[in-house]
Amino acid sequence: MRSIKPLIVKEVKELVRDPKILIGVILMPLLIFPVMGSAISVSQKSVMRAIISASFAVYNEDEGPAVGALLDYLFTNNTVIPIETESLQDALIEFQGTNATALLYIRDGYSENASRGLRGRLKIYANLKSMTIAEAGTTDTVSNLIGIYSYQLSMSKIHRLLEEAGDPSDPTAVRSPLSVSTASIIKGNVLEVPPSSIFNLIISQSVMLPIMVMVMLMFAIQMAATSIALEKEQKTLETLMTLPVGRLTILSGKLGGSIVVAVAGAISYMIGFSYYMTSAFSFAPGLTSMTTGDIGLGLQPLGMILIGVNIFVTLVSGLALAISLAVFADNVRSAQSLTGFLVIPVIIPSIILMFADLSMLPPTFQWILLAIPYTHSIIGTKAAFLGDYFVVLRSIAYIAAFTVAVLYIAARIFSTERIITARFASFSLRGLLKKR
Amino acid sequence: MMNAVEAKGLVKSFGNVMALDGVSFTIRDREIFGLIGPNGAGKTTALRILGTLLKPTSGSAEVFGMNIVREPERIREIISYLPEEAGAYQNLSGYEYLSFMAGFYSNADRTAGEMLEEAERISGLGQRLEDRVKGYSKGMKQRLLLARALMMRPRLAILDEPTAGLDVVHAYHVRQMIKDYADTRGVTVLISSHNMLEVEYLCHRVALIHMGKIIAEGRPDELKQNFGAENLEQVFMEATRLA
Repeated sequence: MRSIKPLIVKEVKELVRDPKILIGVILMPLLIFPVMGSAISVSQKSVMRAIISASFAVYNEDEGPAVGALLDYLFTNNTVIPIETESLQDALIEFQGTNATALLYIRDGYSENASRGLRGRLKIYANLKSMTIAEAGTTDTVSNLIGIYSYQLSMSKIHRLLEEAGDPSDPTAVRSPLSVSTASIIKGNVLEVPPSSIFNLIISQSVMLPIMVMVMLMFAIQMAATSIALEKEQKTLETLMTLPVGRLTILSGKLGGSIVVAVAGAISYMIGFSYYMTSAFSFAPGLTSMTTGDIGLGLQPLGMILIGVNIFVTLVSGLALAISLAVFADNVRSAQSLTGFLVIPVIIPSIILMFADLSMLPPTFQWILLAIPYTHSIIGTKAAFLGDYFVVLRSIAYIAAFTVAVLYIAARIFSTERIITARFASFSLRGLLKKR
Repeated sequence: MMNAVEAKGLVKSFGNVMALDGVSFTIRDREIFGLIGPNGAGKTTALRILGTLLKPTSGSAEVFGMNIVREPERIREIISYLPEEAGAYQNLSGYEYLSFMAGFYSNADRTAGEMLEEAERISGLGQRLEDRVKGYSKGMKQRLLLARALMMRPRLAILDEPTAGLDVVHAYHVRQMIKDYADTRGVTVLISSHNMLEVEYLCHRVALIHMGKIIAEGRPDELKQNFGAENLEQVFMEATRLA
């Protein structure tokens, strides 16, 4: 095996010096994710600023005593545009000419209803000019302001009525007699966290990782296929095959070089993505403050190692598959279209398992998915977060067995003259029909 | 003296296509042997079989007494093969490419450094060897590839159309490289070409191949005399008419 090192070094140099691979696989994730994160952060902060500083309009038809307190409440700490017209129709026309995105309409009879112990009726009109989140946010701000005022009004009334009746009850308990809180049990531990929050957290951390791996795997597959096809196109592979070096060594060198670059791409992807997560959600620190570690689902060192092994065998299997397929291509274009079919088994399990658990699916569908090795990459990663190491090991074993089978086929192809004579065209439907 | 190559009844078929149909020829040690014929005659298939890339469907061939089917690894130690219109790794420099290739042949007798010195001399590319291959012209690339094929001093160099697509100046230079190297180092060269004049200038002996069969074999002057022709082109036309 004295010749494997130069083969790997040559492969890495060839790949890394190709601007398409250097930019697409290594530099792009480092650039695109932080830029995306910053863009999201800037836009979200702008939305929040727009919501906080948003002005809204008020059109009041009521002239009774109760409306004064409501107007005082609204005009304090908010930018309110009063609209004074003869009718609601005119008020709506004037409102559309202002910068305000919401109009609070206080109907005539508001005070009368209040004095008679009936509900005061208000209406909010949202002017959707640009269909942005900020517009919806301003409407929510007005609704929330009214909600707080309504709550305070109700509490003070309950308090007064209880005092008058000499009832010692807590006004809060009278308003909401039942209080429900949720907790979750994970691995026998009771956690004071709603299950929905835990699932959101698991999805964001344990599902995002395999999806990232899948995306990176697609890059790696294209890269390895292009590399083999280029060797065939330029006949450098033909030259390699006549050197005093084992065919298996040539295959291993090819695979080794691709793995080195793919792992560099994976690291760059991870760095870029983690930067994206922190910068994109920096406008709301609460979203990122809870980690799987906080709820006892954090990755233990063993889990981390197993995830690493899982990703590694997934990568090797994808690269071996790409190399085996690309051998049948004459040129780069046909290699890329051949390996393009691999998108289906790589991406489909990721998408399905993002939305559903395997056990929720019909049995036939489950078996089909389980037959695809890349399903196990996702199952394994999820299981590592849950500390179910047997499932992780089983997933690794399945992918490894598949990889060995693919490598065996690749080695067989490399050891025969098919590496030189195999052609994508010979697998055409027309060719098959002719043979019959 | 042991023959460099002995091919006996080589047959190679790809599905229904018969690329070689009972090809036999002998190449003596230290001679330049030309396999000439038109496109699709079977030259590349014959060279690929001797280069251990393909296995014959039937028949046998030996390179310096080693069987190409049973001992391909041993044969690869002593041959170098240059495919037709081959390329080099675009993102490596010429020097890196040669260094990579020399690594497979270096041993206690001859270091990679010595091979690189020789390659530099053969190619005549000088400082351009520091540049990436993707910046080379076709002629420069072919000189680099030929230097790669010869620097390890193979006992048999198999060169498939080494001047194909080259301009007059580069083709002349490449032919000179082959002739000088074979003369000074005593290397056996098997060259394929459809340029009859080139073969006449370079080769000690030639075999004419047509539709997978050898239709004539001998020294160029001998063949011209036998067929009453002025050059190999006429010999080929006459031989195909009689075949």
